[in-house]
Amino acid sequence: MGNKFYTPDGFCDTLPEVCAFKKDAENKLRNLYIHHGYTEIETPGYEYCDIYVDPGFVKEEDLYKLTDSKGRLLCARYDGTIPAARYAATLAKDKLPLRISYIENMYRYNQAGGGKQSEFTQAGVELMGVSGSDSDAEIIAMAIRSALEVGIGDLQVSIGQVGLFEGAVKQMGLDEATQSKIRDAIMAKDSVTIDRVARDLSLSDDDRKTLLMFSESTGSFEITDEIRARFTDAKALDAIRNLEEIKDALDDYGFGKYVSIDPGLLGAQDYYTGMIFKGYTYEVGFPIIGGGRYDKTVGAFGRDMECVGFSLGLSLAITALMRQGLELEIPGADAVVGYDKGSKDARKTAITMAEQMRCGGSVVILDTSSETEEELNAFADENNIDTVLWFDGGES
Amino acid sequence: MLTIALSKGRLAEQAIELLEMAGYDCTAAKEKSRKLILEDPNTGLKFILAKPADVPTYVEYGAADIGVVGKDTLLEEGRQLYEVIDLGFGKCRMCVAGPKELKDGGLDRIPNKRVGTKYPNITRAYFEGVKKESVEIIKLNGSVELAPLIGLSECIVDIVESGRTLYENGLDVIETIADISARVVVNRVSMKMKSDEIKPMIEKLRQQVEIKNEMQDS
Repeated sequence: MGNKFYTPDGFCDTLPEVCAFKKDAENKLRNLYIHHGYTEIETPGYEYCDIYVDPGFVKEEDLYKLTDSKGRLLCARYDGTIPAARYAATLAKDKLPLRISYIENMYRYNQAGGGKQSEFTQAGVELMGVSGSDSDAEIIAMAIRSALEVGIGDLQVSIGQVGLFEGAVKQMGLDEATQSKIRDAIMAKDSVTIDRVARDLSLSDDDRKTLLMFSESTGSFEITDEIRARFTDAKALDAIRNLEEIKDALDDYGFGKYVSIDPGLLGAQDYYTGMIFKGYTYEVGFPIIGGGRYDKTVGAFGRDMECVGFSLGLSLAITALMRQGLELEIPGADAVVGYDKGSKDARKTAITMAEQMRCGGSVVILDTSSETEEELNAFADENNIDTVLWFDGGES
Repeated sequence: MLTIALSKGRLAEQAIELLEMAGYDCTAAKEKSRKLILEDPNTGLKFILAKPADVPTYVEYGAADIGVVGKDTLLEEGRQLYEVIDLGFGKCRMCVAGPKELKDGGLDRIPNKRVGTKYPNITRAYFEGVKKESVEIIKLNGSVELAPLIGLSECIVDIVESGRTLYENGLDVIETIADISARVVVNRVSMKMKSDEIKPMIEKLRQQVEIKNEMQDS
């Protein structure tokens, strides 16, 4: 009852200066996606919880939930990829590959302690029904272009490949419990635990060093013959080849300088099936870009399809830009047109004049409140409007 | 510029000592004052002194690049961080404790137990995840040992260093949940964007920890 003055926890109004910048960024991104052949879709704001929870993609407690008229559990859109996967499996009749894009608000209820927004905008693209390193590189290139388009220049992209880890644990013959322990430790870059587990299992020095390579890698990482020699498993060798081909293709895009390889990137278990990547910039503690290859996801909806995609956290990217010193401008008008409120002729002239100026590209406010030219001038001064036009019984 | 979040108290002192041994000038951090942010423009280090439970939060959100905090706090807060060094000090154990009768299976014979603790998340994860049972968790803020003594709960989950407080109150360690010590944590983005500064720091701190461990072993 007493909450009518407030926005709910995790939600806020977007003020004019931020909104203007954000909508401009969205337009640029939309334009970018259209020019690369990605067609935009809108998926429902609410989905059945089952699309996220049933295949095990998202934990139930992270979803904003409500019920439909039959008491079935719905959730607010959590991400763009899963609904796109549902769409691709059940509705898309187009010939493969499909190129899909979206710019939507997402809702996540997972922010214990607060400080992160529950509602935020993501822009992303999915390339569906195609595999191969060139497709992987195309998506990473789209992600880099998206960040640049929005104005993020200080960008670092880390690329990993889940096949490296999967191959490594397979060739060492580690059981599932150990795999999961090491996996968690790699994601936390917790070399202490990896070292301890490897010693407890009496793994060879070489195997221990291979596992430590996953957690120790930060910044630039080159695939050398020494690293290649660590792997015998076919999946791991494929993964290495995939990473090299991606790196090579990205050089052709001219984006080589943004990317480095990080074998410690693994993502949620069983979600990513190949290449995985994240994008970082200064002044925000979270990655602004996430993506990768997910060949099993669409299959959960009944149609097997190899896919790769990414999303850019637009809200997070804008926060980063503002903290990096971007000055946002409150959108203003170029001109204001006022008229003698007693004169029908004056009004008609004012309307026509304002419309003509807008056709020329100016932002023109038709003032409907000022009774005198002085009042109009005062209004223009207050709002930093340079051009003032006053119509007085047909005369300017 | 690196921002380092320290857990106020003994842990901060030990962390500063180690940083100095690793060759970092921490004069600013040792300043005796009530300031919460201690900055030295010459060394490029900025220290913030926070409540231990808040250190993981500062680091996860990137407000601090690096943090020094106990493993108990990390387990309880469950933040997404890189946990790069086990500093080896601040050692203790996270335990289930209670009256001596609960030892040797006594604990498992009580159905629907009530557990008093400062660490509700660790308690839930242990009883549900490891022991596969539901318990009623009573969140307390200190002197947790009181709870089983006056019948508020059957047992407690707490950190145990020497165990003296437990013994003097007729309680004992029933089960050990995890070994605890101080850890260095790093924000995931800082690790990438500031790797030029952070990687050498991690290396130097690791060397110091190794030297200390070797000295203790010999």
